[in-house]
Amino acid sequence: MLIRPTHRATFAAAVLSALALTATACGGDDSSSAKDTSAGPDLGLISAGTLSVCSDVPYPPFEDFDKTAPTGFKGFDVDIVNAIAAELDLKVTIKDSSFDALQSGLALNSNQCDMAASAMTITPEREEKIGFSDGYYSSEQSLLVPSDSTIAGIGDLAGKKVGVQKGTTGESYANENASDADIVVFPSDGEMYAAIKAGQIDAILQDLPVNLDHQNDPKAAGQFKVVETYDTGEEYGLAMKKTNTGLIEAVDKALTTLKDNGEYQKIYDSYFATN
Amino acid sequence: MKRSTRRHLRDGGLYAVLLVVVVTIGLSADWHAIRVNFFDSDTIKALWPDIVTIAAVNTIKYTVLSFAGGLALALVLALMKLSPLRLYRWLATAYIEFFRGLPALVVILLMAFGVPLAFQWTPPGGNVGAGIIALIMVSSAYMAETLRAGIQAVPKGQTEAAASLGMGSFWTLVSITLPQAIRIVIPPLTNEFVLLIKDTSLLSVGGFLFSQQELTSFGQSGLTSYANATPLIAVAVVYLVIAVPSTRLVAYLESRQQKAAR
Repeated sequence: MLIRPTHRATFAAAVLSALALTATACGGDDSSSAKDTSAGPDLGLISAGTLSVCSDVPYPPFEDFDKTAPTGFKGFDVDIVNAIAAELDLKVTIKDSSFDALQSGLALNSNQCDMAASAMTITPEREEKIGFSDGYYSSEQSLLVPSDSTIAGIGDLAGKKVGVQKGTTGESYANENASDADIVVFPSDGEMYAAIKAGQIDAILQDLPVNLDHQNDPKAAGQFKVVETYDTGEEYGLAMKKTNTGLIEAVDKALTTLKDNGEYQKIYDSYFATN
Repeated sequence: MKRSTRRHLRDGGLYAVLLVVVVTIGLSADWHAIRVNFFDSDTIKALWPDIVTIAAVNTIKYTVLSFAGGLALALVLALMKLSPLRLYRWLATAYIEFFRGLPALVVILLMAFGVPLAFQWTPPGGNVGAGIIALIMVSSAYMAETLRAGIQAVPKGQTEAAASLGMGSFWTLVSITLPQAIRIVIPPLTNEFVLLIKDTSLLSVGGFLFSQQELTSFGQSGLTSYANATPLIAVAVVYLVIAVPSTRLVAYLESRQQKAAR
């Protein structure tokens, strides 16, 4: 018990010295963060001259691996990003990330990438926290069923199991328009496609291009068909840090240029041309 | 200087270092960014009460089912491994090595999609049931080795004493060996239980109805709905609330039991 007073005295001395030390530590911190912002002049890029892009790969035809491509990736999103970067005179690096990191805004806010290009739909909830470019693709939803199924449309889904991908427009569309169906949520299209092949679900509701890929799958020829498509009026956007208005404006301008000079249409047709 | 004074000075210095580290980290962090990204109060309100009534309840349910099933199967495997019959020992060893080596995610995928594809038969409970069976298969492989080690750690004199009293080998096992073995393996089994709590997040690859979501998939869905990382932090806290009391409870029971055993 006698040691108590001494203890308290040493502790008080320790507190004082600690506070003095942290005061100097903070001073150093401020100057370094000031240097960070000056690195990217207008666009606030993580590394000047390079557009660092995150994408949840694979999600064909929007993003997929391609060893022969300079970025290591291919797809509609990749081509659009490359064209925008060319307009802005920037190099492109693409990193495969989880969709959770992208849609939570974490990858952008923690400066892992300047832009998320990952077939991401612009929603009011996301727009509150994340900055978006103008839309670059109208995301049509669709219903895929086995060819011998009796399901002809969303009205026939009552009591049926319909697969959706977690966190997608398809999921919310199903929740709003097929509430009497059993909606089964999957982490990604890979598990969902396996599930419909295994007869675990009766239908898949998701983005049209991905369902079309399954309909035309050479390994499952004639097994599945798209029976309905839905225009949700929603569009994919390129996501950026909400505070980085310089980059958002530059990307919008580049997108407009690409749409005006026909470059966008050329890329679009190479993936989605209907012939 | 007295030795005790010197010690107090040294302790004070150590406290000071800790305080400097804590305060420096605290002051250099961008608290606004942390709050907006990880602790958004509107998001937390919106998660309530489903985060407990659906997500936490399902996580506990899946964990308890996997653990109970895994423990039962592990006991069979451990006894097979200690069996005098070579074929039984060989089968148990093959099973344990196989399922300990496979990633749980792959076993869940095979049970949820592979079995229905191959046999046109879905395990009871649909994809979630299939996933739980997979977790039972994997966790039993780990727990079997734990149980075997526990049974072998019971001193030989115990079984010899039982035999000299004329006790048959089955009753020796049930009333002498197993009770002592269980006491030995409680800490590693608690470990396995806590690991299983988090392994239930793998079940989502099989697909979930809304009412079947466990904590991780619930948190991930929240990322979409609210476009920030708060839901993940919220479910992380719930995981802690589930895991820490259960491990503390086991530690308490263990210390009481060990006192009683003396």
